[in-house]
Amino acid sequence: MNENAREMEIRHKPFTVYGAYLLLAALCLFLPPFLPDYAQSMIVKVFIYGIFALSLNLLFGYTGLFSLGHAAFFGVGAYTAAILISRLGIESFWPGLAASLIGAAICAVCFGIVALQVSGIYFLLVTLAMGQLLYSAAIKLRSLAGGSNGIVAIPYPNIGLGFTMTPGSFYYLVLVFFVVCVFLLYRVVNSPFGQILQGIRGDERRMRALGYNTWRYKFTSVIIGALFAGVAGDLSMYQNGFVGPGHLDVLTSTSVMLMVILGSDRVFWGPILGAALVVFLEYFASLYTPERWPMILGGAFLLSVTFLRGGAALHLVRLWERLRKRHGIA
Amino acid sequence: MGIAVNMLNGVSYGMILFIIASGLSLIFGVMGVLNLAHGAFFVLGAYIGLTLAGKGWGFVLAALAAGAAVGLLGLVLERVFLGRLYKQVNEQVLLTLGLVYIYWNAILWIWGPKSHIGKAPLALQGDIVLTSFSYPLYRLWIILIGLAIFAGLWFLEERTRIGAIMRAGMDDKQMTTGLGINYPLFSSFVFFLGAFLGGLAGFLGTPILGIQPGLSMDILLIAIIVIVVGGVGHVAGALLGALLIGVVDAFGKAYFPDFALFTVYLAMIVILLSKPSGLLGRRVNS
Repeated sequence: MNENAREMEIRHKPFTVYGAYLLLAALCLFLPPFLPDYAQSMIVKVFIYGIFALSLNLLFGYTGLFSLGHAAFFGVGAYTAAILISRLGIESFWPGLAASLIGAAICAVCFGIVALQVSGIYFLLVTLAMGQLLYSAAIKLRSLAGGSNGIVAIPYPNIGLGFTMTPGSFYYLVLVFFVVCVFLLYRVVNSPFGQILQGIRGDERRMRALGYNTWRYKFTSVIIGALFAGVAGDLSMYQNGFVGPGHLDVLTSTSVMLMVILGSDRVFWGPILGAALVVFLEYFASLYTPERWPMILGGAFLLSVTFLRGGAALHLVRLWERLRKRHGIA
Repeated sequence: MGIAVNMLNGVSYGMILFIIASGLSLIFGVMGVLNLAHGAFFVLGAYIGLTLAGKGWGFVLAALAAGAAVGLLGLVLERVFLGRLYKQVNEQVLLTLGLVYIYWNAILWIWGPKSHIGKAPLALQGDIVLTSFSYPLYRLWIILIGLAIFAGLWFLEERTRIGAIMRAGMDDKQMTTGLGINYPLFSSFVFFLGAFLGGLAGFLGTPILGIQPGLSMDILLIAIIVIVVGGVGHVAGALLGALLIGVVDAFGKAYFPDFALFTVYLAMIVILLSKPSGLLGRRVNS
């Protein structure tokens, strides 16, 4: 069934779909200035976690690597930029971004070398443990990473265009990054390289028999995923104005996995939908019963794994196909 | 003297790790299901046991009741949820991940965020003098309990019909189910026993480790490291892994207090790079 959904993705898009994209783009561009601050910051959060969840899905949904240590790349991306800003006094946005990418890539090389020794569920065990190693490192390294308080009071980024960033302009910065990252990841998964990754998920032994060095493809996939997670971590650090061990926590890894599963790991944009669902659900839960939020999240997740198999986006795609067939929309 | 004390600390902590990890390893090794909620089972067992002990139940009775209550939760997990996800390994793990959030929040709801420390049974409180130093009696007793549980599980695995089914199932599950064995009943038993061990470990650990709701993820991670190091599918692997991690942790805490956790993770990475299936592991067919 996953192949079906992916075929629908790739197949030529009907005209109405472009119309919907145009409407969405217009909303993202022109609506936010009229929204209250909290709604704007929620959308920013959806964009950031959307990038993060897409990057995890490159590993999980496309390559078949069940990682529960993805927060490591997110957190390392956030920490490296924050260290550059607060410890070395480099205030410009771009060196911090470069440092995030380099940090996440180095971290991914270490993860790849160790965790790709094993496969299947063992990969999950090892990534989980390695992620936790970084979490405890961040707490112990008080002078560098600020211990359990983290690094606080980080201003909005200075992108070097000669103006001071406000929440309003930060929204557009994140929007630009979101669009670029989604575009790049879309190109990656639909390239020959992406097809090979999907082949590895389907049957790694067969790919090896066909002559592909599967280890190298899996390794590259981990590194690409880590780069995008690092960008998301960097942006998240600016949005919150701080970075703490929470960025590296297991619960960050597990909640991004929940986003992927709730949204769908079988449809390219599923993880973005999942991120949106989690962010908005969390907001409504915080209005009524903030203490029970983890239980609501866990319950939604249980339902989605047992009953709504394949995630919300897959069901939307199927519903759309059925409507199209019935009403003959082209 | 310092070395002896650290060694005993490591071994007694390792025995608690063994009890929880043997449950995790049993369910993973025999049924191929990695139960991420096992850490929450540990914490639940501790709170249920403490609550019962607070109501005047004896230590042994409270421990068994805590284990049995958590064992029933394991049974529910298997009967209600995992049956729907036959042979879908990823979905099974994801399901237990959802349960982690639910249990964790339920524990917080029922017992609150405060941490508690358990009392050892009256006869085992206090210290005992060992040549040149004195040592808490309860910790020594835990070592014996751990060994007894090891002996019991070993006997079950190697010398009984159930153990034969376990080993056969690990080698070839399909063939085993085709032999006319009541596999659903067997699988329920394994889930009950695995969860029972998790809950029991939680309560037995309270006089040493204390308990708080946040412990579920930490203890799960350590248990995972134990089974990765020791290897899955054999109770001796869990024992060896647990003792190794317990001792490395105790010496790490004593000599490099800032880096205690790293020593444990480092041990895992070194073993994984040299022997990916763990020290005494066999492959898990999931």
